[in-house]
Amino acid sequence: MAAPMDQESCAVKTKLTKSEKKAYKKQNKARQTLLRHEGISTSSEATKHLVVANAGLSNGVHREELWRLFQTLGDLQDIVMVTGKPYAFVSYADQQSAAAAYAAFNGRMLKSPEELQQPNVTFYLNHIEKVPSQRVAGLDLPPGLRLVEDFVSPACAARLMEGLGWSTDNQQQTDAEQALKHRRVKHFGYEFRYDNNNVDKDKPLPGGLPDWCSPVIDKMMSEGHIKHRPDQITVNQYQPGQGIPPHVDTHSAFEDEISSLSLGGQTVMDFKHPSGKRVPVVLPARSLLVMSGEARYLWTHGIIPRKLDPVPVKGQEESITLARREVRTSFTFRKIRHTPCDCKYPCQCDSQLQQTGPSLPRTEGEAGQLEQQHVHQVYEDIASHFSSTRHSPWPRVVDFLKTEPVGALVVDVGCGNGKYLGANKDVYSLGNDRSSGLANICRDRQLEVFVCDAMSVPVRTGAVDAAISIAVIHHFCTQERRLKAVKELARLLKPGGRALIYVWAFEQEYKNVKSNYLKDTKEHQNGDVGDKSSTRPTQEQQGASLPIHVNRTSFKTQDMLVPWHFRDGAKKQQRGSQPGLQVPSNSGREKNPERDTRDCTEETNLDRNSEQNSDKPLEVGNHKKQDSEEENVKSCSGACASDCQQSQDEPVYHRFYHVFKDGELEELCNSVPGVSVVDRYYDKGNWCVVIQKCL
Amino acid sequence: MRLLTHNMLTSHVKGVTNGYPLKLQAENIKVMSVDFNPEFVARMIPKLEWQALVQAAESIGHLGDLPRELVPEYESNEEFLKMAHHVLMEVEVIEGNLECPETGRKFPIKNGIPNMLLNEDEV
Repeated sequence: MAAPMDQESCAVKTKLTKSEKKAYKKQNKARQTLLRHEGISTSSEATKHLVVANAGLSNGVHREELWRLFQTLGDLQDIVMVTGKPYAFVSYADQQSAAAAYAAFNGRMLKSPEELQQPNVTFYLNHIEKVPSQRVAGLDLPPGLRLVEDFVSPACAARLMEGLGWSTDNQQQTDAEQALKHRRVKHFGYEFRYDNNNVDKDKPLPGGLPDWCSPVIDKMMSEGHIKHRPDQITVNQYQPGQGIPPHVDTHSAFEDEISSLSLGGQTVMDFKHPSGKRVPVVLPARSLLVMSGEARYLWTHGIIPRKLDPVPVKGQEESITLARREVRTSFTFRKIRHTPCDCKYPCQCDSQLQQTGPSLPRTEGEAGQLEQQHVHQVYEDIASHFSSTRHSPWPRVVDFLKTEPVGALVVDVGCGNGKYLGANKDVYSLGNDRSSGLANICRDRQLEVFVCDAMSVPVRTGAVDAAISIAVIHHFCTQERRLKAVKELARLLKPGGRALIYVWAFEQEYKNVKSNYLKDTKEHQNGDVGDKSSTRPTQEQQGASLPIHVNRTSFKTQDMLVPWHFRDGAKKQQRGSQPGLQVPSNSGREKNPERDTRDCTEETNLDRNSEQNSDKPLEVGNHKKQDSEEENVKSCSGACASDCQQSQDEPVYHRFYHVFKDGELEELCNSVPGVSVVDRYYDKGNWCVVIQKCL
Repeated sequence: MRLLTHNMLTSHVKGVTNGYPLKLQAENIKVMSVDFNPEFVARMIPKLEWQALVQAAESIGHLGDLPRELVPEYESNEEFLKMAHHVLMEVEVIEGNLECPETGRKFPIKNGIPNMLLNEDEV
């Protein structure tokens, strides 16, 4: 009775005891602090969500404890704890459970150690409308994405690496491993099938999941980060400079929750929404990343292959610093899905998408669309990876460039990463490419470049002494468009000027010699290739789906989609850089076309290439305006060489190609007025033609 | 984008007959040092539209003392060649626009790269 009266609500307060009043005051204080400092506004009415002051990581409270305590009051859905904060968010499936939790815990000191390890802790609860999204450097994380820092202790991390048995120290790699420079991948639980990029669900791998993974999995479950026990693990080890292009994990292969534990080194993972919005997420060492819902089914995730990451400075999130990458080993935990996917994101869903793929276009509009999806968007997505596999200029192209005199003006139409732009230092080389991503890579090398389509090159007529167009025209999907491209080349040339054109050849075996593209596979030894059919290859019927080509085999048709498998191109460069070195073919090697694996010119400076790509720090949080609205990342639905060691994590892109038959390119050039063909030859699986502008 | 490059570029919007030269607007310019090769410059000059070069350089304030007309026997005039070299090769537009003189259509320059990609209706 002797308690002092509070002026504001004395009518109510007279009924409370002293301790109740104190609790009320504290709860109020908590509510105000949350509002003032964290912008969290509480609700006066009961809701499903609660904010629990003093239940945060900075109070020394463990997630597991909270989960245990709050689980008993009702259908607990989620607990969110934010590093360094003195509160936690608790969400139930229904209001009643939340209200029960409120009644059970608000203002009550918890018993130690039965309820909570930390002594003398009192929770103060408030209902909130919704749990604020976790933010990272001022950006909201994609919905369904959760990052848990310090998920395992250094000791636990060491035990995992020990159990795995890989060393991260290069010195300890076996000679064979070092020679091959593969990114290490290992699977547990289930086998991957590369012909359908899905899991062989009827044939689990013997041994199941290793014992040394159990503690981590147990922890993920007991702390409520995942609801379903994973039965598949993929381990990947990334050397600095390695990454993985953006992709969505195949819907039909795995259930919703996909978690990834990062050990050894930190990295930045980029999440991208189909609208173009990008969120870079720093994954510190020993953190757990859980992807579910939208983050798992709709947003793509990828890691840029570079050695330096721009990261926000701890404590001053507006400032950016560069962090050097170290060797990172990721353990990805997934649960195999046994029924077709029925998610809410059909645009990325292999179960729900149409079975028929793209076909040859019937209109100009369709042609443009096909090229947009299966040429331009792909190159934008893979630009840096692509660039790292295109390092050695082909000698005969360089020869052509070197015949130009001092002060010549040379244009490279479709210059890619600019590898020919510096070939002759005495001429002025001007490059153009359809891909801004590739143009930017040229720019990083101080090369002069602009962006345009090869069918319409914005250069003065007759202004150019020489031009090259290497491995470009075969990306146009109609005869008319290919003709336009050649006409543009002809238009640019001054009288007497010459242009060199390279296109991929239908005939990958010429004069009884198989091209390198065919040579590097075990398949051809079985007589699978060498398909020098005397019958003309059939043109695709319009309307029928374009076939998906099997890399490293002979072409069966002229128009097709060719898979690009992301392999650590950065590492691959180191092979075949010495003249005369016979590089043995082996499985797991890069399966990408066009690349001559026995290039004997130009020492490849791997580090310089990767470094150049990474020297330019990306601005954290910026949306790249060049991104097209469509995200077309499809899982591989075609056949891949069966010895491909492609990991499930590695996405496949399909690029459109029209490969040329013997004489076809020459015929195309002959139909262009004002130029004549002055040379023709076959080079490394390509048909090549030199045209000269008439005087 | 160097001024030498600008001299080669033209507007290719469909139907345009007077697409050259593109008007140059620069927001960010970089001046750098490039090795001088007199033979290179001498041979490049006949390929240029000299007036367009002068106009462009002037519009971004980097004309300097470059003569508005080609001087006779410029091939052996080292001083002239050096000035030409500077304007052609050492001045880079990093951010700005190229504007079609006929339609006013702007092609942005970002990170030194002009984006000349046309929209569907301009092709």
